[in-house]
Amino acid sequence: MIDLSVQLGRLHLRNPILVASGTAGYGRELADYVDMALLGGFIPKTVTRHPRPGNPPPRTVETACGLLNAIGLDNDGWDYFWQHHWPHLQTLPTAVILNIAGKSEDEFVELAADVARRGVGLAALELNLSCPNVAGGLDFATDAERTRRIVRRCREVCPNLPLIAKLTPNVTDITVIAAAAAEGGADAVSAVNTYLGMAIDWRQRRPRLGNVTGGLSGPAIKPLALRAVWAIARRRIIPVIGVGGIATMDDVMEFLVAGASAVQIGTANFYDPSVACRLIQDLPAAIAQLGTSRVRDVIGTLQTPE
Amino acid sequence: MPHLRHVRIVSQEKLAERTYRLRLICPEIARVILPGQFLMLRLAGTNDPLLGRPFALYDTWGDDSSSPLGVDIVYLVVGSMTSRLCTVPAGSVVEVWGPLGRPLPAFSELEQVVLVAGGIGQTPFVAYTHWLLGSRGYGGQAARPQARRVLLYYGVRTAARLAGLTDFQTAGAQLYLASDDGSVGWHGSILDRLQAEQPAGPLIGCGPEPMLKALARLARQWQRPCWVSLETPMACGIGACFSCVTRIGTAHNWDYRRVCVDGPTFEAALWHDAFSEQGSDAPLGSTGA
Repeated sequence: MIDLSVQLGRLHLRNPILVASGTAGYGRELADYVDMALLGGFIPKTVTRHPRPGNPPPRTVETACGLLNAIGLDNDGWDYFWQHHWPHLQTLPTAVILNIAGKSEDEFVELAADVARRGVGLAALELNLSCPNVAGGLDFATDAERTRRIVRRCREVCPNLPLIAKLTPNVTDITVIAAAAAEGGADAVSAVNTYLGMAIDWRQRRPRLGNVTGGLSGPAIKPLALRAVWAIARRRIIPVIGVGGIATMDDVMEFLVAGASAVQIGTANFYDPSVACRLIQDLPAAIAQLGTSRVRDVIGTLQTPE
Repeated sequence: MPHLRHVRIVSQEKLAERTYRLRLICPEIARVILPGQFLMLRLAGTNDPLLGRPFALYDTWGDDSSSPLGVDIVYLVVGSMTSRLCTVPAGSVVEVWGPLGRPLPAFSELEQVVLVAGGIGQTPFVAYTHWLLGSRGYGGQAARPQARRVLLYYGVRTAARLAGLTDFQTAGAQLYLASDDGSVGWHGSILDRLQAEQPAGPLIGCGPEPMLKALARLARQWQRPCWVSLETPMACGIGACFSCVTRIGTAHNWDYRRVCVDGPTFEAALWHDAFSEQGSDAPLGSTGA
């Protein structure tokens, strides 16, 4: 019997495989493909204070082994979420981690305080500090001091829920931001959100995305995300949830060995909607291959030259 | 219940210039799919192309329409995925999930329905013609006539692109053709022909976006019921990615709706993009973002 459970600060998960925010809707969309009773956790699409129509289409374009997106946090807002999505999410037999984005520090704090009141049964709160596709910029996690302040203030108003900061890779040194999140009181960081990129139709001399630029995800960014996770994990700054192009058992194991305590499956849900459950079913055999019976014994065991 | 399946290709047949019919064995999907619904299809064993692509049901196949063995899709080679797909030999496996989206509108005891297709947009209309005329049943239901006549207005660039005419004739559609270069049918756009002949009955369109916008405006002018079946860039097909949105009218103004789950067929009168230019107005109550 392989013990798949992992601990990230105050967050306990029965297994380390989660479904990433923005890649599985609000739980109903993947119902035919994903057995929620197997998932380590489910993270619904980012919720904001006010409804947001999102960016003009085209919102996605495929690039080499990757997906460039600029959805723009399309969602029906806070009140709608609690009325229409939360009652369903509450029934899911898995750890539900709410993902929120504020337009300002104060709005993050306002939302986090409301989560503390209404989010009975939530497993954790993930702060989306890193959406690259919103005019005016919601990528707070490009600045260590803002990251620290937002995390600290959210922790103050929502003290009983494990807190996860989702970080952008579009920075010079992600370990500095991860350290700021740790100092602010986060239990873990999710690393990484998408890499800024663009695609151009040169014949028309036009960008291929309605938003001009977007965020790159999928297998194309996996080595980049893996490096970012390892950079944070090797310094033992804070528990890391690895995310970025994870689609196969090898990908999962690489991230665990690099030091991720859990992983999120993102873009792969789009082209292989049942992938997360398959990976969970295959995980024990992969762990056993390393001669151990606990996932925890695999995390951060990368051996590098002296 | 839709699921990801590894599905075997029975055959690939060239129907017209750059146009192929792919026959798949997938009885579970074939038994439940309705005209106007679609499948996501992805090449197995590669990350480039990465994503699945949506393909409309062309028709189900099998000895008995109440328990068909599989589905046909018909596609035009336009990009990296379809240019590889047309080289995949019979016996190979592709990844398929579906059926997805909502079916084309059903009617009862209608005199005449007018289908308007542009380019590869004819593909949903073979099964739809069978369904409307009651010559074939879908979704496990017995065939039932919904209309007495189906007219297909079908426009192409050139005669070499006409695909599936015998299938439409077998289904019982009356064909009205047009071509941009005059090589077949009316010389000009299919909308010009439609406007000149003004056939009676509800209009259902599928094809290039400019054609569908013109159709929606024409239907408004004629005060005629009209539906348009849209195709937009889609990553997942199941409502998870929020890529494939189009602007649909609401009680207040408009909102983005996902073509994969709320469509692909919409009432043309609600299709905001047909009646205003993209980005020219913001929805009421938006945050301006």
